[in-house]
Amino acid sequence: MAQKAGIWQIIHEKLASLKLSVFIFLTLAVCSLIGTLLPQGIAEEEMQKHYGPGWAWWINTLGLGDLYHTNWFRFLLILLCLNLIICTLERLPKTLKLLQRRDERNAPEKLLKFGHHRQLSTRLPWDETKDRLTRTISVDFAPPSQLEEPGVFAAVAEKGRWSRLMVYVIHLSILVILLGALMGSILGFKGTMNITEGESSGEVELYGRHEHVNLPFQVRCDDFEAAFYDTGAPKEYRSDLTIVDKGREVLKQTIRVNDPMTYEGITFYQSSYGSTLKDAEVEFQNTDTNQVHKLTLPFRTAVAIPGTKDRVELVQYEQDLSRFGPAVAIMLMKEGKQEPSGSWILVKMPEFHGNKIDNYKIKVTKAQPTQYTGLQVKRDPGVWVVWFGFTAMMVGIGLTFYTSHRKLWIWASPEKTSNKVIIAGRASKNSIAFEQEFDRLCDRLQDQLKPESRKAK
Amino acid sequence: MNSSILLSITTFGYFLCALLYLSGVVFRFRPLLLSGTFAGLIVLVIQTAGILLRWQESYQLGYGHAPLSNLYESLVFAAWAIMIIYLVLEARSKQRALGVFPSLFAFLAMAYASFSNQIDSKIQPLVPALKSNWLIAHVIACFLGYAAFAISAGISILYLVRKAQPTNPNPKGFMAIFPEAKQLDEFNYQMILFGFLWLSLGIITGSVWANSAWGTYWSWDPKETWSLITWFIYASVLHARAMQGWRGNRVAWLSLLGFGCVLFTYFGVNFLLSGLHSYASN
Repeated sequence: MAQKAGIWQIIHEKLASLKLSVFIFLTLAVCSLIGTLLPQGIAEEEMQKHYGPGWAWWINTLGLGDLYHTNWFRFLLILLCLNLIICTLERLPKTLKLLQRRDERNAPEKLLKFGHHRQLSTRLPWDETKDRLTRTISVDFAPPSQLEEPGVFAAVAEKGRWSRLMVYVIHLSILVILLGALMGSILGFKGTMNITEGESSGEVELYGRHEHVNLPFQVRCDDFEAAFYDTGAPKEYRSDLTIVDKGREVLKQTIRVNDPMTYEGITFYQSSYGSTLKDAEVEFQNTDTNQVHKLTLPFRTAVAIPGTKDRVELVQYEQDLSRFGPAVAIMLMKEGKQEPSGSWILVKMPEFHGNKIDNYKIKVTKAQPTQYTGLQVKRDPGVWVVWFGFTAMMVGIGLTFYTSHRKLWIWASPEKTSNKVIIAGRASKNSIAFEQEFDRLCDRLQDQLKPESRKAK
Repeated sequence: MNSSILLSITTFGYFLCALLYLSGVVFRFRPLLLSGTFAGLIVLVIQTAGILLRWQESYQLGYGHAPLSNLYESLVFAAWAIMIIYLVLEARSKQRALGVFPSLFAFLAMAYASFSNQIDSKIQPLVPALKSNWLIAHVIACFLGYAAFAISAGISILYLVRKAQPTNPNPKGFMAIFPEAKQLDEFNYQMILFGFLWLSLGIITGSVWANSAWGTYWSWDPKETWSLITWFIYASVLHARAMQGWRGNRVAWLSLLGFGCVLFTYFGVNFLLSGLHSYASN
């Protein structure tokens, strides 16, 4: 039993140590570095071709091809969180206790050993001395609270007590950010959808998985426009979208890169575009019979040639095939043949000798391409938690670095000819800046405690 | 008068400035250091005018964007940020000898921007991904951070050299013109704090921007990842200072490692790794 407690104590100590924090930081840095050097998210075969089977095995076993989503990387993040939480539990009560101790008294001999201290003397009457000390320190620093000390004047003044708590705000903000990310990955989804101009869709292809999500409404793309500068560089990509919910048009909005649209917690981002064919009018001339069939072929739907059991399908569209202009790929499934045959048919060159498959000469009489817009679709309920964490982190970092808890001890005793005053100070950090503040304050006190300044007032 | 003339003057101006600081240190002649400060101030004013003029010129070309959009413009801004942060540090610390490295870094940034044939100094239109108000906030925050880290790296080198000397160096010796090791450590820490604040803000603004442009606030893009690596290194510097036996030399080495990461985030990622930030490479 005692031994068990020992083990837990050691684990607890290790988890609460600053050394572990530095170790985790450096380990996370090295692991992230590896992830940027190896290509992420590529197929195993490609990995084998690149690195050879031996290396590929290691890369695969350690999950280095998708490093940031491996369990051991997650373990490092969890270790970081544990380290943060245990450090906080360990140190926060001590800090709070330190902050509550307001009437910390110090003997004058001790005050003279402080890094920042000054000894003054004044010929002012005793009551006036106390009065001026209190007033000046109240105005220039913070109102001092007097300690009960018979025969002498002892007081403590402090500023920026909350500064000591800001470091916990930073640490908490990291936990909040990671929590937000976790919420996003559990409760949200991320995917893409391509919508042809004039059509609507509600199906989102998810990333990295062969799955899709059906939205509870439809998105219609009314128009897509790509604009270019004179130099040929892209200037703007723009889609006019309409949300159709239960048959009603509920939202019309134009989206651009950097300017997405949100409906019911789902956000649509402009991410890509391309062109596709809705359908094409194609003439098939049977070279055996010289019969000509005029067909309208919808995109990727097989159609039978009248009078035969041969079926044709429009499978691909290319806007500019090897600089020969627009072309459509047509596949022919001949009766009694196992394998389909196919060819690219050039739209603008009807006399091209390659415009045929088997015994059919093919001519495209009408192929009007339409554009489609590529949207990135995302639902992330954790994003506001992450934003909150970011804000807390910035406030925490700014205040931790640029404010400090400063405390002043004042001790004065009446003497026969002149009263003795000792001022001592201490700051939780940034002691150079505090030294200047302390010196300025002491200079002012010295000035205020001169009997002549009494008349000036 | 156009911006490229002003920025050419800036390049040579920082060369002169670095030369003045360096000869002030080598000859232990303080008036030379003082003239380095004045040269730095004057060149900074010229450079500020150059940057503002370039901004205006982009409006005349019909593009109308802040001069923070490609490698050339970011290098110019990096030099500007290094010098302005350094001059404030110098004014507060009254240690002019620290100017050797910052002025040298500012000159190198300007020289690389001006003379490398990989870098196009023409004003280019913004691609759709960069058309956002976040551009200005993100780039300024990142480069203020990088600049502070550059200065901290310079101080770290001085610290390591100074620490290797006896505590009380020969008053006529080479090192006597530099502040004590303890002070250098303190300045280094101040610069790292300042840089860490801005780097954090840079990562956060970049993240918020990515969320509105690409729909994800973190995608482990190489640039993002490398800025996080840099953040981890400096976070460990800040924590290491509170650990026994880690002050001094180890902190100085970690700070140099951190600056190495900054350089890789800035240049290495652009030229060696591909990712979403590719527009920064030309």
